[in-house]
Amino acid sequence: MSIIGIAIGITTIVALGLITTGMEDSVQTSLNDVGAEITVSNSSSVSTNTGLIDSSIVEEMKNRTGVIDAAGGLTVTEMNMDRLKSRDSDSSSLATTVVGLAPDKLYMMGINDVDGKIYENGTRDAIVGAEYAEVNNVSIGDDITLQGKEFNVTGIFETGSPFVDSGIYVPLDTLQDITDNDGVSRILVKTGEDVNDSAISDKIEEDYENFTTLTSEEISSIADDVLGILDTATLAVSALAIIVGGIGIINTMVMAVYERTKEIGVLKSVGWKSRKILTMILGETLVLTTLSGIVGSIFGILIPEVGLRLFNVTDFALGYSPKTFILAFGITIIVGIIGGIYPAYKASKLAPTEALRYE
Amino acid sequence: MDDNQIVNENAYPDDEYIYNETFIGEDGEEYYYEEPLISLFDVVKEYDKGMVKALNGINLDIFEGEFVSIIGPSGSGKSTLLNMLGALDKPTRGKIFIDGIDLVKEKDLSQFRQERIGFVFQLHNLIPNLSVFDNVQIPLLPTDMSNKEMKERASEIIRAVGLEDKKKQRPNKLSGGQRQRVAIARALVNNPSIILADEPTGSLDSKTGELILNLLMEMHERYNVTLIIVTHDNGVAALAERTIKIKDGKIIEDKYNY
Repeated sequence: MSIIGIAIGITTIVALGLITTGMEDSVQTSLNDVGAEITVSNSSSVSTNTGLIDSSIVEEMKNRTGVIDAAGGLTVTEMNMDRLKSRDSDSSSLATTVVGLAPDKLYMMGINDVDGKIYENGTRDAIVGAEYAEVNNVSIGDDITLQGKEFNVTGIFETGSPFVDSGIYVPLDTLQDITDNDGVSRILVKTGEDVNDSAISDKIEEDYENFTTLTSEEISSIADDVLGILDTATLAVSALAIIVGGIGIINTMVMAVYERTKEIGVLKSVGWKSRKILTMILGETLVLTTLSGIVGSIFGILIPEVGLRLFNVTDFALGYSPKTFILAFGITIIVGIIGGIYPAYKASKLAPTEALRYE
Repeated sequence: MDDNQIVNENAYPDDEYIYNETFIGEDGEEYYYEEPLISLFDVVKEYDKGMVKALNGINLDIFEGEFVSIIGPSGSGKSTLLNMLGALDKPTRGKIFIDGIDLVKEKDLSQFRQERIGFVFQLHNLIPNLSVFDNVQIPLLPTDMSNKEMKERASEIIRAVGLEDKKKQRPNKLSGGQRQRVAIARALVNNPSIILADEPTGSLDSKTGELILNLLMEMHERYNVTLIIVTHDNGVAALAERTIKIKDGKIIEDKYNY
């Protein structure tokens, strides 16, 4: 019984620990920066679809000091009208980002490994992110409709960033042609090593007053902020788990030892010293909490894992970190000792006759 | 009992009182005081902040090797007195000396209990999740005996109370009489000089009770253990060499039976 009581406490701590670490991990990968160090966009318009940059600027960017390469990208959003009409709970994407990018510049989005074939300029070929492919059940060779035109999927890529992996990439000139645009919605800028990205980005904003820039450092600092907030939230959830679990454990231990008050009275009446009794209880507590720790950890893993499968959650994985288990075991042992030793100490201080009278 | 032994006469000695010295009595004969093993001086035990007086001024000497029964109605304080003698509780006032040890002053009585006292409780007080053997072995665990010695000693005493075949059983598988024999074995295992038994036959039928009493008396005779039994049964009390009657926390009679 005691093992079950304590194991429930540990299950709480472990399960919530795994979930919060999983949340941190998934946000962290979402915010992973892409290949280009600086992203330039037009600040005169809120929407990147309409506030376009003239294609000639791309060449100007490429020629700036410290810049190795630059590429223009055109981004449009493809709405899934069927999904809107049907009102079915089908799982296909409602809106998809379609990016026009020259095939030799895909690396700037972190797209390096493509399963299948990369498109060529001027073709109606497309490559799709792994997440898009999975959600919409698309595989290589399939045709998809983008901006009312048929495209053939030639490859599937995976970068690890959900933002990129849920998108579709097509040749820039094809997309410009279809949408009747000359410009690009943003320019990806790759800088050389040992150069100061923020100095270059500041210089760009200075020279082109309509442009705003975002460096990967800025992105990661935003990521840090988000992670910081998440960390605090995680800490709060963990603290809650520890309090709830801890109270359960302490209650179980206190009850288990109180029930043995009479036994402690017997031991005292036959000549056991208080210290020996406390040592015995301490040893038993350690064995009990360790066993409960193992049982509780197993359930702490099983319950959320089974839960995720039961509710068919695919885009979230539990975050396994030794920290969670060390924390759970540490808390249990400390709290278990407090919960076990306190009533044992009280019982050992009673006169044996009083302890023996305890029922 | 030795004829010229003075027992319980003016049991409250002054400081110069010296035991084991001879003196000449009023009849001209030579007497001597034997130092008692147990001496109680004006012992009072109160409960509930003085509302209940379980013991109300007990003066008593008990000598080594005696078999004493304490008798009285329930609530008279006899069990309280026994608990005081076994150092299981401390008096509110008064002094208790056992073999020169001041039980009131002594802080840690566990060693005293371990070395001197064997306690047989009315309700056995065995630990339910331990085997007969482990229950008997408990008082030996705090000693510096080796494992082998402990095992031998526990086995020997279990054999002496006739429970050799029940060694590995849990107490709840035993009859009341068998449990009481386990309790006696546990009380005897550390070779105590005093056995205190609180209604040892109280929960047993008369035949089993007789067996238990015989066992205690045999131990008393064989090892010269001082045996003090609390009972409310006159028949049991009459078996003892000396009977002390208690009522309302006071000794109302103290007599030798033969």
